[in-house]
Amino acid sequence: MAGLAAAFGSGAMTNSVQEFEEAEVFFVIGSNTTEQHPLIASRIIRAVTQRDAKLIVADPRDIKLARFAAVHLKHRIGSDVALLNGLMHIILKEGWEDKQFIKARTENFEQLKTVVAKYTPDRVTEITGVDRDSLRKGAEIYARAKKAMIAYAMGITQHITGTDNVISCANLAMLTGHVGYPSTGVNPLRGQNNVQGACDMGALPNVYSGYQPVTDPECRQKFENEWNVTGLSDKIGLTVTEMIDAAERGEVKALYIMGENPVVSDPDANHVARALRKLDLLVVQDIFPTETTKLAHVILPAASFAEKMGTYTNTERRVQLSRQAIEPLEGTEQDWKIICEISSRAGYPMNYHSAVEILDEINRVTPSYAGITHDRLENSWGLCWPCPNKDHPGTPFLHKARFTRGLGLFHAKEYIPPAEPPDEEYPFTLTTGRMSFQFHTGTMTRRIPILGREAPKAILEMNPRDARRLRVRDGSMVAIESRRGELHLPVMTTLDLPEGVVFSTFHYSEKNINELTICAIDPVAKIPEFKSCAVSIRRI
Amino acid sequence: MKRLKKDHVLPFLKVMNKTEQVYCPQWVEGRDLILMPLGEGEYRGDLGKTTISAKTVLFPQAEAITSFRTDKISKIIDSTGTLVFGIRACEMKAIQFTDRFMTRDNLIDPHYMARREKMTTIVVACNKPPSNTCFCIDAGAMPYLESGYDLQLFDAGDYYIATAGSARGEELLANSYFEEGVQEDRGKVEDIKKEALNSQHNRPGVERAIDALKEDKPDEAFWEELADKCINCGGCVYVCPTCTCFNVYDLPSQGGYIRYRSWDACLHAGFTRETSGHNPRPTQWSRLARRHEHKFKFDIINYNESGCVGCGRCSDACPVGLGAIEIVNALNKL
Repeated sequence: MAGLAAAFGSGAMTNSVQEFEEAEVFFVIGSNTTEQHPLIASRIIRAVTQRDAKLIVADPRDIKLARFAAVHLKHRIGSDVALLNGLMHIILKEGWEDKQFIKARTENFEQLKTVVAKYTPDRVTEITGVDRDSLRKGAEIYARAKKAMIAYAMGITQHITGTDNVISCANLAMLTGHVGYPSTGVNPLRGQNNVQGACDMGALPNVYSGYQPVTDPECRQKFENEWNVTGLSDKIGLTVTEMIDAAERGEVKALYIMGENPVVSDPDANHVARALRKLDLLVVQDIFPTETTKLAHVILPAASFAEKMGTYTNTERRVQLSRQAIEPLEGTEQDWKIICEISSRAGYPMNYHSAVEILDEINRVTPSYAGITHDRLENSWGLCWPCPNKDHPGTPFLHKARFTRGLGLFHAKEYIPPAEPPDEEYPFTLTTGRMSFQFHTGTMTRRIPILGREAPKAILEMNPRDARRLRVRDGSMVAIESRRGELHLPVMTTLDLPEGVVFSTFHYSEKNINELTICAIDPVAKIPEFKSCAVSIRRI
Repeated sequence: MKRLKKDHVLPFLKVMNKTEQVYCPQWVEGRDLILMPLGEGEYRGDLGKTTISAKTVLFPQAEAITSFRTDKISKIIDSTGTLVFGIRACEMKAIQFTDRFMTRDNLIDPHYMARREKMTTIVVACNKPPSNTCFCIDAGAMPYLESGYDLQLFDAGDYYIATAGSARGEELLANSYFEEGVQEDRGKVEDIKKEALNSQHNRPGVERAIDALKEDKPDEAFWEELADKCINCGGCVYVCPTCTCFNVYDLPSQGGYIRYRSWDACLHAGFTRETSGHNPRPTQWSRLARRHEHKFKFDIINYNESGCVGCGRCSDACPVGLGAIEIVNALNKL
């Protein structure tokens, strides 16, 4: 998100889901779309099989989408910047760039040119493992299409170079003029139903709702007026990973966690648990008991989605109304009521009477949400922000004619290898992800028997050649060890993975793969490198 | 033959609701037409095609079937009397199909049959297909029924013309809300039937599709191409009026356990996975093939009747365009 904000001025999917139906070329990088965004994937598959659209997949794994790809760039984990620079190198060399777009709509192109010049096909092949022909083919298909969309997900962001990876995607789109038009753009597929909404509402350390900086005195003034207070802080707060570290150092004394299960979902889980135990006060608000509530001093039982009214903002910036189906179960309360109550008892009375009243306030203080009113949501399938007033139809694609920040900013990036490359002691790369039948740490989905049947337990996927070398087969137990922890998992062999790479999911708290992952973070977005750490594996 | 004024439907249902649980198609927030207990939504008189068929009354999405305690194991049977108003001929045909399945070889499903025996069915024939995905005629069903219902109504404008198909139906006709009909009503019913037969133009070609399957025409590549689009959500199975596969699981409850069953889908990998881990249908294409072979091939062998009644719900529900209509279309191209 920080990457796109830097390049374009707005950190969100530039285009909308519907536009996948019209694109000529899709460049999918770091997204197992059929598993995690199946409806977007089915649009891509339909486009490829029914109207000859072309698909470029860049992924170290043989994901299902790769079967439909005109070219599959099987780059090494964490080599995204080198790969993207390599594609841009070829595009510039062949003169496939959009000169007019670069001139009229972007700045800092010369810097990009200088850096990209160093990424010759030979060098890129060496770093990424992708052959020259595939690089050229990928570059040509993407650059020479009229309407080409880039889609990415956590395979791009969950690296120490997450922001660099995103910026490189943005560079590629600007270089070829594939942004600011329908069925183009740079499209982060968000990993949760409302992660866009949470960011939009300012659940970030540096902004109020609608990305209004806390460091901007005018913004602060506006919120002080609305909330009838003075002296709102102008200091940027901490991100989740920083809070955990600060708790371990004893600098953060109290933590109030809502709907998160960091003991399972955050990297280096033993370190997370250790840090949380050091807190003077841990408050956890959730709908079910979790590994994190076990450490809490106070648990606030919250109501589920069915027991409350509100809005979700999905990956395409579409704000949709969610209606209350049933009354909250006995002993639980809706999140906003809990927050009002806590605030009131802490000395600032919050007197909202309904979710609608809260949305009214959002409309007043958030320019991009100003026209997304309750009445309009009630009678529609939702509205895409920015929607600055009540008559505005919403914005399916961003940066038409002008980027949010004015000119699009090229920002050249150099390749940096993953924080913990494999070595003699830990010769495998562990990469983590999700599958469609479970959601995150499983606190909800693992209570559903049929999902449990489909995806019952944690497994370690590996290439059959690696399995042969380790003298294990499907179902054998192995000990997998990193510098941070050890776990015993059954093996499942699959040709989808290259040799030297193993994969597992973080859905199973009793076999928590995040005890192994590394808490190396992207310096800007502070996202941990879930996609790569070094491990050793032995038969037991 | 008797008449039921449309204005009298709701008062009639309200009276019936005193002695049995009445279900009828109702609108929820003006968007979804759902067959649900009277009063839970808004009855507007337009019956249309409900999202999920009357299957949901006889075979709910999830139900408790057994309770376990250390000292006692007991079956849980719900035999609430129900009256289902406004179901379509295709749905009734699906119920007849399911009845046969649930009692096949004298293996009787007690949970289903307890509800079925206490269910009164009031079918409303279709003058016109309620949606453009209806293809009952092509599927060998009809927009109206000749038998197998308690009461069948024909829409004659301001009123329904009612015919009884069972003793229970005759009993209902004795209710004072039903008025004596006139001689011409018989002719009117024939006209409505004719209109119904002539107004349905959706003919995907089920018979030819059945032949293609009989002759084993589709190969792996055929199914693979279709299955590539399938996102394995199971929606087609859940909305199908003749799909009744279920999963069984136990949940703790007050010192014991309750065994539940809930809808399952043959498109999920775990459906056929064996304890060893071996899966006889390991791929999405083999599961998709199996589902449609079941409807259009094995059901014909077993019951001399296809398992698809042509309601088109799977085509309505599928987010990637892979319902029965699309499968039949593809089979026709072989």
